[in-house]
Amino acid sequence: MAKKDIAKPVALDPRGGRPRDKCVTYIEGIDRILNGGVPIGNIVLLAGTVGSGKTTLAMEFLINGAKAGETCCYISVTEPSSKMLSNLQTYGFFDESLVKEGKLNIFDLTVINDRLGVERLDGTYTAKDMEALLGAFEDIVDELGVTRLVIDSITAVCYQLPDKGSIRNFIFRLSQFLSTFGCTTMLISETVVDSNVQTYSIFGVEEAVADGVILMGNIIRQGDLLRSLQVVKMRGAKHSRARHLIELTPVGLAVVPLLKWGQDGGQAFT
Amino acid sequence: MSVKETAKAVIQSINNGDTLTTVRISADSFHADTVKLAGVLLGKKLGGIYVTTSRPSSHIVDELEETKVDLSDLYFVDLVSMTVGGNTDNPRTLYVESPTMLESILLNISLLERRLKSKRRFVMFDSVNGLSIYSEPRVLREFINVLGNSMRIKEIYSMLMTVKEQTSDELASALKLLSDRVIGD
Repeated sequence: MAKKDIAKPVALDPRGGRPRDKCVTYIEGIDRILNGGVPIGNIVLLAGTVGSGKTTLAMEFLINGAKAGETCCYISVTEPSSKMLSNLQTYGFFDESLVKEGKLNIFDLTVINDRLGVERLDGTYTAKDMEALLGAFEDIVDELGVTRLVIDSITAVCYQLPDKGSIRNFIFRLSQFLSTFGCTTMLISETVVDSNVQTYSIFGVEEAVADGVILMGNIIRQGDLLRSLQVVKMRGAKHSRARHLIELTPVGLAVVPLLKWGQDGGQAFT
Repeated sequence: MSVKETAKAVIQSINNGDTLTTVRISADSFHADTVKLAGVLLGKKLGGIYVTTSRPSSHIVDELEETKVDLSDLYFVDLVSMTVGGNTDNPRTLYVESPTMLESILLNISLLERRLKSKRRFVMFDSVNGLSIYSEPRVLREFINVLGNSMRIKEIYSMLMTVKEQTSDELASALKLLSDRVIGD
């Protein structure tokens, strides 16, 4: 066969279609698992138990994006942003100039609530509060041109919503405008393990609305605690569903496949 | 087999284009011969990663320094020092918290591999037997299989050091199947 007759390889999604544009995480191993990154505009639930590395992964996702020139935003719900900034100094991959240059923006939800006047004594948002909060998020993303957003945690926000219907509505509305802006988002979900079963969220609603679910947890191997990561779903991407081990290294998170026989005492996931 | 003969066989194996070799050494001279072998490779201007599962890396550095070989392109993955509360502040060493964290070995090799300056590189895994103390045979076999294949992909010449007298037939057979060559049979 003549050389000119050989067709050039076409970049196709492994499923046969055309792949969606990806938001590259630049996290060692994660982009490989996700077949190039998170599809742009996806809203991803980053679910995990305490100490599983959710905040670190989310922060590295933002910092790497900021280093690549994107505008990134972190909304802290569970701890003051000043404390978060102090914690960031302990990461080798953090660069303080990103904050000064406005590439990495850190907001405190309590401050946003104060400004909107939605802080309730009983801790529950009304429908009007919910609208105001969604409007504030939209303004932040729109005005700053945010392309990567993290809300840490969505669980803490959901605790302030009156019922599951409101939670579903809130996340759906959030994902709608974020997707319109092409803002790739990670919602951190705090989960618990009950009877050796790990759920994706406390309320059981968030995972259904989210485009993607990344599950993080702990595995016990001969008494040692290992951090694990598994991509459960990611709309618009052909991804690995294997369980991986993650580790915090001097250059950031790194991911390697977990040994199959080394999972004694591991958690079963729903 | 003397250490000189072992070193000669290893160099021949590298020149033949092998990527994964099992090196069997007698318990009587295992530690001394392994360090000498690393010294020979460094002397041939290879850069390397020394994975230690049976002795703290600081001891190996001390022994290598006595040979006056250039250690500037040698890095360590140490699975011992953190477990026994030893020195863990050598910047040329990545310490693994526990010898059960086998995946961390692969991860740390990947991180150190980027620091190697030499084009010709090696990984010395000292030793397979050291890991068998902490891991079940089936876990160890799986790990060796993953390690061997990932080193093949990276095209780094890797030596799986084993103590002749302590290696079961089952493990020896798994190593033989995986390796391009077994030295010291």
